[in-house]
Amino acid sequence: MNAVAQPAVNAVPPNGRRFRLRRISALTLVRGVGAIAILAWALTTPGFLSRLSLFSLLTSISFVGCVAIGMTFITMSGNIMSLALGATVSAASIVFTASLGAGVIAAAAIALLFAGLLTAAQGALVGFLRANPILVSIAALACILGFADLLTGGQRIYPGDEGFALFRSRPWGLPFGTLVFLAAVVIGQIILSATRIGREIMMVGSNRRAAETTGINTPAAVIWAYGIAGVATGLAGILLAARYGSGDMDIGSGYEYRAIAAVLVGGNAIQGGAGSVWRSGVGVVVLAAIEMALRLRGFDDQWQYFFTGLVMLAVVMLQASVARR
Amino acid sequence: MLVLVIIAVALVDGGRGYFLSTATAFSVMQLFATYGLVSLGLGLSLLVREFDISTAGMVTLAGAVAVLTGVDNPWLGIAAALAVGLAGGMLQGLIMTYLNLNSVAVTVGGLLTFEGATSVLTGNQSISYPRMSLALALNAPIGGVLSVRSAIVVAIFVMMALVMAYTRIGRDILATGGDRRGSAVAGVNTKAVVVGVFAASGVFCALSGAMLSYGLAAASPSALSDVLAPAAAGAIIGGVSLVGGRGNPMGIAAGVLVLCVLRSGLNAAGASSHVHDIATGSILIAVAIADAPDLSRRLTEWRLHRQAMRPVPLHTPGNTSQETT
Repeated sequence: MNAVAQPAVNAVPPNGRRFRLRRISALTLVRGVGAIAILAWALTTPGFLSRLSLFSLLTSISFVGCVAIGMTFITMSGNIMSLALGATVSAASIVFTASLGAGVIAAAAIALLFAGLLTAAQGALVGFLRANPILVSIAALACILGFADLLTGGQRIYPGDEGFALFRSRPWGLPFGTLVFLAAVVIGQIILSATRIGREIMMVGSNRRAAETTGINTPAAVIWAYGIAGVATGLAGILLAARYGSGDMDIGSGYEYRAIAAVLVGGNAIQGGAGSVWRSGVGVVVLAAIEMALRLRGFDDQWQYFFTGLVMLAVVMLQASVARR
Repeated sequence: MLVLVIIAVALVDGGRGYFLSTATAFSVMQLFATYGLVSLGLGLSLLVREFDISTAGMVTLAGAVAVLTGVDNPWLGIAAALAVGLAGGMLQGLIMTYLNLNSVAVTVGGLLTFEGATSVLTGNQSISYPRMSLALALNAPIGGVLSVRSAIVVAIFVMMALVMAYTRIGRDILATGGDRRGSAVAGVNTKAVVVGVFAASGVFCALSGAMLSYGLAAASPSALSDVLAPAAAGAIIGGVSLVGGRGNPMGIAAGVLVLCVLRSGLNAAGASSHVHDIATGSILIAVAIADAPDLSRRLTEWRLHRQAMRPVPLHTPGNTSQETT
């Protein structure tokens, strides 16, 4: 599980088992202490445990979380990240809102399919041609923004008729979005760790050439990874559209950065092949808690990006320096 | 290729004659002043086989710093901005090399931090810069085509081209990009090279941002996609290979000019902003495909596949020669 810390699973380290155990403990210890410290700090923030802020926390977790789940698949496949996911969220929100005339379920299906195909297309370029994933995502970002601007004229799309009652409900006292997110985490984790395609994605991310030699259809695995990422991103778009009652191209802006920050803060390896959806989930919660605590302590929204960036750098640096020891 | 694009755009613009005028050349150079240095910085990081995503963030941050500190003395503002660029770039470079981290992870963290710092510094609003005369002076046409801003950018490109071609540093940069390990063995201080490249990238982006803000007499937190896509496209069109080790500043300049010409042409033809985005995105996709490592392999596979699928000619009686299929 802690594949980042162990270079070779079966090699016998110089000091035998004791050496290996010590290595695992260092990284997990740092992570554990860090998480506890952050949570303690967050929880002691006045107002954190109030119903209002907890609900707000849960809601923001569900949005970023879905995108982070999607980003996990892309990162695990060895393709680092996609800069287009934020725009995909926005586009999905627009598609969802615009198709509500056909009923909520149909609109959701259309939006998910749209987002999935949009991202899978990028996956095709990356998977078949091994085109640079960052570049492809930047290009897709520009195209998505351009087409969306063309088609919507930069305006907000309002639903033909209200289908959001389902989304505003609070089953078991939790916001609907949170349940969707939790379900997505579970499903995502199962896909990544227990299905054949999930394992293939991990192997492709771990060592693409080796995976090819083993007979894995690497382009297909990459396309699936991107496609799943697209669906998860579409989910976030749907939730956001329901939350704000409309769809527009600004809704998802910046989500790709928060998502990759969550993926990395949770402990996934950026080069892929090691990690899990759980970890991204943890990352999302940690970052959201930090955001909320900062806000309650008086830092305005402007500080959010700044601290998210710092935390991300700190975590990445910490994990790297501990793992090197 | 630059010539081809100019001819193409001029033809498209047809008889209206707006295009081939000094005014258009001036606007092309103005765009070049905005995108050129960013593309140079990004291109340099591509040369050493890394990817500096924080370029866009540094541009806005430096712009804000310049405006905020340069109220009394514009030189102070520029110095402060350059210092920030240098520090930001160097820090990222150091983190990357000494912790052996993926450049995308570090620069995304850098991007978030820079963008966040900009938000904090500007209070998330546009800040105007009271020196209108400076703004006008920076953008005043010299000889009808250049301005102080674009002249500086051109000078820097020429300087970098000379450095890359004739100095040891230039050779080291290309060596590090082509084969990091091999260069290290051969005695190149690859760590210093990478740190230097990112520091330079930071400085260039900072200069670009500072001049832009002074030229606009305002600093604002701007959209990320505005700069990143054209900068990346410019560098790669200009021949910088994504696998590192190949490319030169003049090529990058040419690539950026192509994009600027395109943008100017679209402007002259009265196209709206989404056309810009779609055009830039499509070009970037085309370039990403053209530069993809597996492109020729896939094309060959496809061609062989088609040949194999061709129906085999039937034997006719009396045809005695042995056919090997």
